[in-house]
Amino acid sequence: MNDFSELEKQLRKLRPILPSQNLALRIERALAETRSPGAAAVLSRPRRLNWSWLSLGLGLAAATAILIVARVDLDQPKKETKNIASIPPVAIVPVATEFVPADFTRVVYRTSDEGLRFPSGSAQPVRRFRSQTRETLVWRNPKSGASLRISYPSEEISLIPISGQ
Amino acid sequence: MENAALDENWKNCFSQIGPGLLLFARQWARSRADAEDIVQEAFVRFWRKQHKIENRALLYATVRSIALDFLRRDHRRARRETLAFADAEESVQPEFEIDDQSQRSLAAAISLLPNEQREVLVMKIWNDLTFAEIATVLGISQNTAASRYRYALAALKKELIPQ
Repeated sequence: MNDFSELEKQLRKLRPILPSQNLALRIERALAETRSPGAAAVLSRPRRLNWSWLSLGLGLAAATAILIVARVDLDQPKKETKNIASIPPVAIVPVATEFVPADFTRVVYRTSDEGLRFPSGSAQPVRRFRSQTRETLVWRNPKSGASLRISYPSEEISLIPISGQ
Repeated sequence: MENAALDENWKNCFSQIGPGLLLFARQWARSRADAEDIVQEAFVRFWRKQHKIENRALLYATVRSIALDFLRRDHRRARRETLAFADAEESVQPEFEIDDQSQRSLAAAISLLPNEQREVLVMKIWNDLTFAEIATVLGISQNTAASRYRYALAALKKELIPQ
């Protein structure tokens, strides 16, 4: 009936080469990134919702912060104009009392070794490292929940003494 | 506990279907490493969605889709699937562990098959897919899948036993 049965038998004897062990490890790692498959399946939908609600919340918080800052500016234009002339920059103290420091991050995004330096008056050489960073400060108003974020680049030079041998 | 069980599930599943799946992907990949990349991506994508392994057709369709994308990317130009397939024909071969000369001849004969017949053969013989499942993977009718399979066997027989 099936004149190919012998050929099919021969074909089935041919064994495909096994995948490398590394492949199973790679798959394991990739699956672990989303925890277990079950967790991934269960969590995938709520996670999306959480992110969307989180981003909506963050967006609203940012909008509130902008509005509050704008209102502070709009409500006190006359006071500021008066004070600017007579009071030194320390006048922002009222804002500082409302917004308290909440977070500080410093990200080093580039470092370079500038080699040995021989500073005058020093007995030993120093190695000079230059690092470029971005610092971010966050203040938060505990009453309103508004937050203020300032981010700026900075550069730091470190001199490390080298002991000769 | 449940996670561990699922973890074991994928390992058991992959140990069974891995070699056939790799052979299937190997049809489009230039190297074994490329084929493993394709299998990894397809299997992880499939398993994350937690399709039941009974739904094998979807897994093979995923491998095929990723492999064809891979091939198109590899060629750095957009091509139609058939063209990409035709280009792959000359450079790729299934991989087998060869024990003797007759198996070597058989493997060589398989590599000479037209792609559309070879992929049906690979899914049927080394992956135990039914014609219904093969039809789903390729988007063809069961009859067409069965015909391609028969044509493949006939071509192999002709190649191995020349007149």
